[in-house]
Amino acid sequence: MSDLSVQFAGVSKKYPHFALENIDLELPTGSIMGFIGANGAGKSTTIRILMGLVHQDCGSVQVLGHPMPSDQAAAKLDIGFVSEDMRLYGPATLAWHMDFLRPIYPRWDQSYADKLVQRFDLKPQQKIKGLSHGQRVKAALLLALSRRPRLLVLDEPTTGLDPVARHEVLQELMAVLADEDRTILFSSHNTLDVEQISDQITFIDRGRIIDSDDKEAFLDRWRRLRLVLPPDGSIPRLPGVVEVGGSNRLPVLTTNRFEPAMVSVCNDLGATVQAVDTMTLEEIFVANVHCRRERLTA
Amino acid sequence: MNYSMVKTLILKDWYFQRTAILLAFAGGAISLGIVCTGSQAAFTIGLILLVTVMAMISAMTVMGNVLGERENQTLAFAMTLPISYVEYTTSKILGNLLIFVPFWLTILAGCLGLIVATPAIHGFFAFTVIMAVEILLSTCLMIAVALVTESKGWSISAMVTGNLALNVVGYLVAHLPGIKEGIFGTQIYWTPAATISVAIEFALIALFLGGAFYIQSRKKDFI
Repeated sequence: MSDLSVQFAGVSKKYPHFALENIDLELPTGSIMGFIGANGAGKSTTIRILMGLVHQDCGSVQVLGHPMPSDQAAAKLDIGFVSEDMRLYGPATLAWHMDFLRPIYPRWDQSYADKLVQRFDLKPQQKIKGLSHGQRVKAALLLALSRRPRLLVLDEPTTGLDPVARHEVLQELMAVLADEDRTILFSSHNTLDVEQISDQITFIDRGRIIDSDDKEAFLDRWRRLRLVLPPDGSIPRLPGVVEVGGSNRLPVLTTNRFEPAMVSVCNDLGATVQAVDTMTLEEIFVANVHCRRERLTA
Repeated sequence: MNYSMVKTLILKDWYFQRTAILLAFAGGAISLGIVCTGSQAAFTIGLILLVTVMAMISAMTVMGNVLGERENQTLAFAMTLPISYVEYTTSKILGNLLIFVPFWLTILAGCLGLIVATPAIHGFFAFTVIMAVEILLSTCLMIAVALVTESKGWSISAMVTGNLALNVVGYLVAHLPGIKEGIFGTQIYWTPAATISVAIEFALIALFLGGAFYIQSRKKDFI
């Protein structure tokens, strides 16, 4: 069996006002990938192609060893999917939904479903249309997790949730990590949520993957260097500088290839390194997007 | 084809349409009862009610089962089940037909029974069969348009077209050589013209539903 749960190779999809271009994406089995992009960046289109709901114009997609979209029925047997714009049947109860799905999925785990009902504080006999938004997301998550899927695809599941509900949802997702065979693709524009649960990060902007790496590698290699230059000094040439801010005398360099040795290199070139700041995932994402957009307009 | 999943989806649709189905059967039974009371006025009113109830059930099931999935954003939930587009399309076509056809057959049998039992209207036999198949044809047109376009506007247009066609076809059939001669007679008759009319209607049904399958199987964006 392949050790990749998801593999996109050269996938493109064109719409009149948007294009997903040449997407290469690999999701190793057992990993949790945070898929980050601004609204309209192409996250949902990518996920819909992954689920076989939208056909790519070119390129190949393999999900759990199945070519998509041709073998989508077999692939979807092992996928749990929750999306911000997916609704359950309003006139039916949560219990009806569980009864509906149980015979479809051979690995359906009713005891786990019952446990999640308790943990999420849901009432199985309550109709879906009577639930709050947070309860609906939890109900959808319960139905996805109880299938015991090998791949869990979450498309902006925490959007619109209050802080308590968001915390509960993220806690449950982290609990799922205990099962090492499970793979999760978690899309969001909320970098804080993604940072909490992901071990891999992929950034997408305007239909293109702009960066993809381990979360720790991202956090390690991105830094802001605050320099003090002598009166006639110039900014030292450092590798991976994507943004130069600050003033002429006090420049702030953002690099995506930080090495501790850079500090001594700067000192050797006459610049004093006042501070080396770590960056949050959000800052890294924003710097990454700005850098790419500037490069495109240049 | 995963028939087990198709059956599961059909039963799901029936569950959500159960009230409409029961109301339609009740409406159909009441209309037939009115027709059977015997007076000329009751016959006319009952017949209009029957056609109305049939149009209503086809509209309600198509709007609820097909367009409702998209409007209520439950299509994403249905399509994340282990099914293909073709299985989804099959479940929607069969699900709607299996709601409509038993109802349609019951009403048709009731009408034909009434005609057979009433010598004065024996001549309506062929006309009634042709018009009943025309109602089935209108329903199939609406199912096909709703599935392919997933648009309420287009589906309502298809429904209006079907209802207008009912009047046009009724006029044409009533004036069709081979039908018009005996329509007001007291003999039950079936002519080659009636056979050809019904065959054309079934061919159009096959064309609409086959076309819906073909277009659905070539669709690239399902959501």
